[in-house]
Amino acid sequence: MEPVIATAVSHYPKVGDAPGQQRLRQSIARLDRGEIDTRQLDGVADEVTAEVLQEQEAAGLDLVTDGQIRWQDPLTYICSRLEGFQITGLLRWFESNTYYRQPVATGPIGWREPILVRDLRFARENCSRPVKPVLTGPYTIATLSQTSHHGDRRELALAVAQALNRELKALAAEHPTWIQVDEPAIAENPSVQYPRDFETFSEAMHVLLDGVDSNVSLYVYHGAAADVPRLLELPFALVGLDLVQGAAGWRLVDTWPRGKGLGLGIVDARNVKMESVEQLADQVKRAAASVEGAELHVSPSCGLEFLPRDAARAKLELVARAAHAEEVGVDG
Amino acid sequence: MAEGLLTTSVGSLPKPDYLVSARGRQARGEISQAELDEVSRRATQEWIRFQEEIGMDVLVDGEMYRGDMVAYFAEHLDGMSISGLVRSYGNRYYKKPIADGDIRRPHQITVDWWEFAQSLTERPVKGMLTGPYTICDWSFDNHFGSRREFVMALAEVVRDEARDLERAGARYIQIDEPAVSTRLDELDLAIEAMGVVTEGLRAHTITHMCYGRFDLVYPKLLELPVDQVDLELANSGLELLEKFREHPFTKAIGFGVVDVHSHRIESVEEVKANIRRALDYLKPEQVFVDPDCGLKTRTVDEAKQKLHVIQRARDEVRAELASGRLARIPS
Repeated sequence: MEPVIATAVSHYPKVGDAPGQQRLRQSIARLDRGEIDTRQLDGVADEVTAEVLQEQEAAGLDLVTDGQIRWQDPLTYICSRLEGFQITGLLRWFESNTYYRQPVATGPIGWREPILVRDLRFARENCSRPVKPVLTGPYTIATLSQTSHHGDRRELALAVAQALNRELKALAAEHPTWIQVDEPAIAENPSVQYPRDFETFSEAMHVLLDGVDSNVSLYVYHGAAADVPRLLELPFALVGLDLVQGAAGWRLVDTWPRGKGLGLGIVDARNVKMESVEQLADQVKRAAASVEGAELHVSPSCGLEFLPRDAARAKLELVARAAHAEEVGVDG
Repeated sequence: MAEGLLTTSVGSLPKPDYLVSARGRQARGEISQAELDEVSRRATQEWIRFQEEIGMDVLVDGEMYRGDMVAYFAEHLDGMSISGLVRSYGNRYYKKPIADGDIRRPHQITVDWWEFAQSLTERPVKGMLTGPYTICDWSFDNHFGSRREFVMALAEVVRDEARDLERAGARYIQIDEPAVSTRLDELDLAIEAMGVVTEGLRAHTITHMCYGRFDLVYPKLLELPVDQVDLELANSGLELLEKFREHPFTKAIGFGVVDVHSHRIESVEEVKANIRRALDYLKPEQVFVDPDCGLKTRTVDEAKQKLHVIQRARDEVRAELASGRLARIPS
């Protein structure tokens, strides 16, 4: 059996409650007051990113993200760097108590320059574990945005997919072990009931991956992905599921296709209640029995920025202990 | 009342600098809670005076003594504690509460402060509470394991507080439920919980909600057992109004006319246009004019300017109505 990989999904808390862990928040406030410039703020963001990378390593993760410390929200960081989007008012992110600014496409969508390459390089220089760059996917961007330029959402999704295809190629040229694409908007979520257009989703994913020479994973969270037609036939090397909010995903796990990697989101990233390592380890065992000829990645159910920093750290430790339970025994 | 278009605020107002620094000193143990309360009273007094001076009709105390609208209640309830900082958006963080035991209200939470604010003015001051659904939705759960049980336990303690406010003389009681439109599959639960809170109250009851997908919860939200629903309408571009043609709005409405997340001060003309649009769909008697949401994230100066613009716009629209220059929809 291949080793089980402990990993994070996307974001990580930017501030903590311990002394010294609020530098980024304070620096953004200082920037707003004109007391520092953006270069100084970027420096603080770099420091916090390095700290968060260390924290993930220390928690025992095998594959880390940069914590998206610089990201304002899952859409703004990407869309504000693409041609054609304007960033507008606040909207609720799914059924959470966090908010994003809604992008509005006012012209043709274009890719100007690499968005995440600099961040990936920085993270790799500051971490001894492999780093996976994480990109919000075109289908989710199109679902949560508006357009005054495109005929409909499908047209917008395909235009964003084309632009982000260039981003994926730029990232692939850096040769990370994994590149991750997040598509929470395709999940079945009875609380938000976003329109789900499987045809457009599939089309957009093909456009996105066209000619990309890398291991690319797809993560679907904030709900179940079990009813997405042909989800596991899409050309992703690994598909990550949120099995906390989308327990229906276990149906897929138990009949997982050979050669397809599985992302097992089993630690609740949205509540501080701590799971038992034994139960998590049993779930890992169940999944490991289905995954053949590909990697099994164990993770929180989604990004951890919904939690206070100390709880996020404890959740990552749980992930690592559950993922590595087979090697070292649950008590180790 | 026949004139309608009463002006009010949603709830929170910005804390003046001297109060922010006093809160910091209290947190560091440099001054006592009693000394901080004295400073909070001074700030409350200033805001009451300002609202009176510009002519607002239904006042708020501005929540000078509260930090966060959910944490404040959690801090005063048995069975709840406060966890670490969690980001809400941008550079805004809050200390998210946790349920870790059975919920009880050991003492009144807001009544003293309401009595103080009301003692400063002849105009009505709203009693301000956070609703059970929102307290649950914005907290972690380390105890109940069921959102329904958590919400209904909170409904009982919020009801007790609402009854105490009414007994103290509050004529307007607002039970904020900004989270109510968050989860479409839990609307019935939120409505049921509000029923527990408002049952038997004679005060004018209001609930405020914001940043939700009103297109999907309307007209269902009219089932909330309150007299008035307060909606954020400036920020969402007044799109909801079209829905009122098909399903008339049957309650009083708090009609948000300025964006609380923008530094820009709206012009009187802009706000008048928003009010006039409201009157295309609603009777003036139904409409309370206010900002989209609490103004606490603005500076004191911005908040004052925004309230001023609302008041002037309202006065001018009222004059137009009185002179017959602006037509009313038929009753």
